Amino acid sequence: MTMLRVRDMTVRFGGIVALDGVSLDLNRGEILGLIGPNGAGKTTLFNCISGVIAPDKGTIFFEGHSLVYAPPHVRARFGIARTFQNLQLWGSMTVAENLVVPMDALGRRNTFSDALHLPFSSYAERASMERARAILHVLDLDRYAGTLAGDLPAGIQRRVEIARALAMRPRLLLLDEPAAGLDAQETARLAELLHAVRERFHVSMLLVDHDMSLVMRVCDYVYVLDFGKLLARGQPAAIRSDPKVIAAYLGEESKKLEGEVATVVPTRPQQAPLLEVKQLAAGYGGLEVVRDIDLAVRPGEVVACIGANGAGKTTTLRAISGMIHPRRGRVMFGGRDVTGTSAERIAQLGLIHIPEGRGLFPNLSVEDTLRLVSNTAGHDVNITPAFELFPKLRQRRRQLVGTLSGGEQQMVALGRAILSEPRLVMIDEMSQGLAPTVVRQLFDIIRVFREQGIAVLLVEQFVESALDVADRAYVFEHGSIRLSGPAVELRADRKLVAGSYLGTAVDATAVAAANGNGNGHHVDPALMEIVSVRVPAKVKRALEQRAEVEGRPTGAVAIELLEKVDHQ
Amino acid sequence: MAAFAAYTIIGLSLGGIFSLAALGIVLIYRTTGVLNFAHGAMGMFSTFIAWQVFYGWSHPFWPGWLSTLLAVIAGLVFAAAMGLFLEFAVFRWVRTREPVVKAVITIGVLLALQSAASLIWKNNQYHLPIYLAPQTATITISDVGVPVGRVGAVSWMLGSLVAAVAGILITPFINFDTTSLTLLIIDALAAALIGGLVSLPLTVLGGFILGLLETYPTIWIQSLGFPRLVALLVILAVLVVRNPRGFAVAAK
Amino acid sequence: MTSRLIFRVLMALVAFAVLARIPVGFDVGFKFDAGLAVIWAFALLSLVLLTGYVGQISLCQATFAGIGAYTAGMMSATFHVDYIVAVAAGVAAAFVLGLLVGLPALRLHGITLAIVTLGIALVFDRYVFQDHAFEWLTGGTGGWRVGQTSMFGLQMDSSKHLMGAYVVLLALFCVVALLMVNLHESGAGRRFRAIRDSELAAATMGVNLTRYKLLAFGMSAAIAGMGGAFYPLVAGSVSPQPFWLFTSLQFAAIAVLMGVRYVPAAALGGAFMAFVPDVLTRYGHGTLFGRPYEISYDWFQIAVGVLLIVQLITLPDGVWGDLRQRVLHMRSAVGGLGGRKVKVA
Repeated sequence: MTMLRVRDMTVRFGGIVALDGVSLDLNRGEILGLIGPNGAGKTTLFNCISGVIAPDKGTIFFEGHSLVYAPPHVRARFGIARTFQNLQLWGSMTVAENLVVPMDALGRRNTFSDALHLPFSSYAERASMERARAILHVLDLDRYAGTLAGDLPAGIQRRVEIARALAMRPRLLLLDEPAAGLDAQETARLAELLHAVRERFHVSMLLVDHDMSLVMRVCDYVYVLDFGKLLARGQPAAIRSDPKVIAAYLGEESKKLEGEVATVVPTRPQQAPLLEVKQLAAGYGGLEVVRDIDLAVRPGEVVACIGANGAGKTTTLRAISGMIHPRRGRVMFGGRDVTGTSAERIAQLGLIHIPEGRGLFPNLSVEDTLRLVSNTAGHDVNITPAFELFPKLRQRRRQLVGTLSGGEQQMVALGRAILSEPRLVMIDEMSQGLAPTVVRQLFDIIRVFREQGIAVLLVEQFVESALDVADRAYVFEHGSIRLSGPAVELRADRKLVAGSYLGTAVDATAVAAANGNGNGHHVDPALMEIVSVRVPAKVKRALEQRAEVEGRPTGAVAIELLEKVDHQ
Repeated sequence: MAAFAAYTIIGLSLGGIFSLAALGIVLIYRTTGVLNFAHGAMGMFSTFIAWQVFYGWSHPFWPGWLSTLLAVIAGLVFAAAMGLFLEFAVFRWVRTREPVVKAVITIGVLLALQSAASLIWKNNQYHLPIYLAPQTATITISDVGVPVGRVGAVSWMLGSLVAAVAGILITPFINFDTTSLTLLIIDALAAALIGGLVSLPLTVLGGFILGLLETYPTIWIQSLGFPRLVALLVILAVLVVRNPRGFAVAAK
Repeated sequence: MTSRLIFRVLMALVAFAVLARIPVGFDVGFKFDAGLAVIWAFALLSLVLLTGYVGQISLCQATFAGIGAYTAGMMSATFHVDYIVAVAAGVAAAFVLGLLVGLPALRLHGITLAIVTLGIALVFDRYVFQDHAFEWLTGGTGGWRVGQTSMFGLQMDSSKHLMGAYVVLLALFCVVALLMVNLHESGAGRRFRAIRDSELAAATMGVNLTRYKLLAFGMSAAIAGMGGAFYPLVAGSVSPQPFWLFTSLQFAAIAVLMGVRYVPAAALGGAFMAFVPDVLTRYGHGTLFGRPYEISYDWFQIAVGVLLIVQLITLPDGVWGDLRQRVLHMRSAVGGLGGRKVKVA
């Protein structure tokens, strides 16, 4: 039974054709994959389906309703929920509140009764909050319930986005790169979660992701887009071996396997460190995310920070660059104590931080973005070096940054960094959400940085590539540094790393590890059932107490009780 | 028919000045990301400096052209200095903030300049004699429009200069006081919006169109405020035409 | 009723009781300032809702207040209705105008919205409030005079019963401010804040943007209009000058300066706007080093402009936001004493 029927979808932005006559069918209960290189139009298609932009041509039917003129919130009422590639959580609200908003919005609540705190509103409010907590519990996000969403690292925000979408009780879930920034183990767990969600909530899904392992494992059927056109469609296995798809999407990746192996053997003289971090601790609100961080980067050295999501890598970078205040410890840069100095001042000293999401202004053109460097530098800066590094940017110099693909945006960020003549560049999740070919290109740029004597501190999910390019690496685990050493050694001794972390090469062992080593993350399918029913808080608390006493999952206890009721 | 031709000429001259003012706005916006609501006020202040030199400080025995020259030079020098000062004292420190915050800061600049002017020159009506032919406006546009500044300081200086030129050029046409010149901002913004806040040629064109649109109705409607309504309608029309897709443009 | 709600109601009652007593015993000028302070506080409160909660920019709040004032003045002067009916009419007129202004906001954001609202403020300032075509609303160049009138059936004379008008205004303000604080924490407030944080996410998560944005503009205009509607009563007459463009800009500047996300900041800003210039012009003259000097209103506006610039560079969350942050810090440093994290909207 067709749930979503998209016909002949065409979208043009100025002269660029983002989507060119794409048609797509999604059956009820199906998980449909949508893949393609960067800029292929996947997100544009999502935007059309969720009503964020109006197509130039084409029709969309959802469960028999035509959606062409339906505004986004009406589509949400029909049961279409989505997540965003460039996270769109409501940053000034807590995670729990983020989940409550869609529930209330769909419940047609009354503004005035809300403002007066009438009993009706208060009751609905409590019920929503209960359900939000249940969903957070299922996704193992409970401990963030009271944290402001904007303060969380991107990896966790991504999970909150999924939680928020589920809070709408959707019938169709549009997932835009849910695995971006997740490590292999977490990706495996996400795949499992998506299956569980489909089983329990009867949710169909449309999934965009670059992580082929996720797409292959989760999807029943895959559509491939390239340059706004439908390139191929079929079973995942068939797609994987389709030569057209390989050429368009995976082409260069296969070359990489034959090609370069580690070439750089670092023999750096023992210079005084450029960046030295001692006993650093930092966090957000009531949460201390990292502690006892000792880390050093010498001039011209490439250092990688690796580790599972939420291990504290991003927070460490933020504390170093002054985006957040370190709670304890010291940060020395170029022999100067910069602990607690403003981010702008630190940048002027030559420490450039490219944050997750790249920190660009979407409404500025490429050229203007690069020119802004002159402001920080305080003198006129020639922007041609950036174009020499990334010739592609020269063609797009007049285009607004917001309209570039993710890879091109990262190029702009890197180009901007090099123009400010830095001594150290910190790059957070450089390859997040990018196609493999682009990622490879970016890693080559890192090598260029090193040749020019610029030190690089890298946070990266593609461990293999990161260790390839890096001189040394630090392995983070649970907010502190577990391991450190020359990259060559870490790469050679994979097991050493795997103790706290699993490489990107997704294979059966990773999946097995994900299933076995759940450390509390494990999705309890029975518990998902609870989430879909509205249970009063008292009952739930009683359930949890009983589960604790009996040492069983709450869900199991609940199911048992429900069965008893059924029997009576 | 003769009246119509006369109105056309007035409209075009007015349009030239709108274009010029708008160019300054676009210039500053493109290079620094600041939408300068104080643009009109900056032009106003420089114009008053010129007026002060012309009437207040120049010697009565000097020939008219000398007084005019000195006045214009004083106005322009002051404008350039003010632009530089704003960049170094204010906008340098907020470079990384959201565009809206920067725009609100320019409102602060507007209020301060406006009151400082009304403090010094009171709320009287002034008039500068016609020594400056309005046609020069179009020539200056092509001169100023080309060298778009690269650095914040340069663009603030240039932008401020352009505002001053616009202010000085418009004064022969109107009896001006501190507010009416400050309020030139709305016409300039309308013209700048026609150019999408980016395109210089479209901005110039927009200025001229707006000048004509604001002038022709005055043939039939005797109302001082009516041209403001025209400017608002133009702004609304431009925004509706330029932004047909709803969110797509706004998506952060 | 939660304990927090009871606490807020008590706070509002105490604030009302204290503030209502303050002008007693002062001269007429200060009583007039007190009334004006509440009127301006209403306008600033309307920005707390519109900009602080919903994230929409408006540079035409004085226009909304002006429409409220003129409508109330017209109702009172031409139809001789009870003044509270005139206020209701003013609020209704402002609400309708707010809805109209909200229409372009459905499509616009940030800076472009600022331009449009600036244009609207200018059209009303130079055209509607000053043109012959609208004399039925504005009462011509002289404006409306409101001398003898009645409120709730009681005789009111604007020159004699300033305190009465002030107390009614203050009571209304306390109620509306209380509702605003409640709104912030409620479901509807969350939907508003969702629009502020990410419009895109709000729309796709089921928030009806059309409805909530229009509602926000309508409510905001109504709040500004409520304050404005009392202007003819407090001042005795109504003219375009108090509601011209620069007042709108001042509202925006002072709201941001005081902290646009916080309700108490609106009250603070209103008092600042009404009392400071009056005190300055009253006592700000004399001789300094043998030379006479005089501080005029323009100095106040220069100060507002400069303070706004300094504040935006140094304290992005406004004066009240910064104070609040400091208090919270102190409290968390002291530890158990005030352990509960109080969120004052």
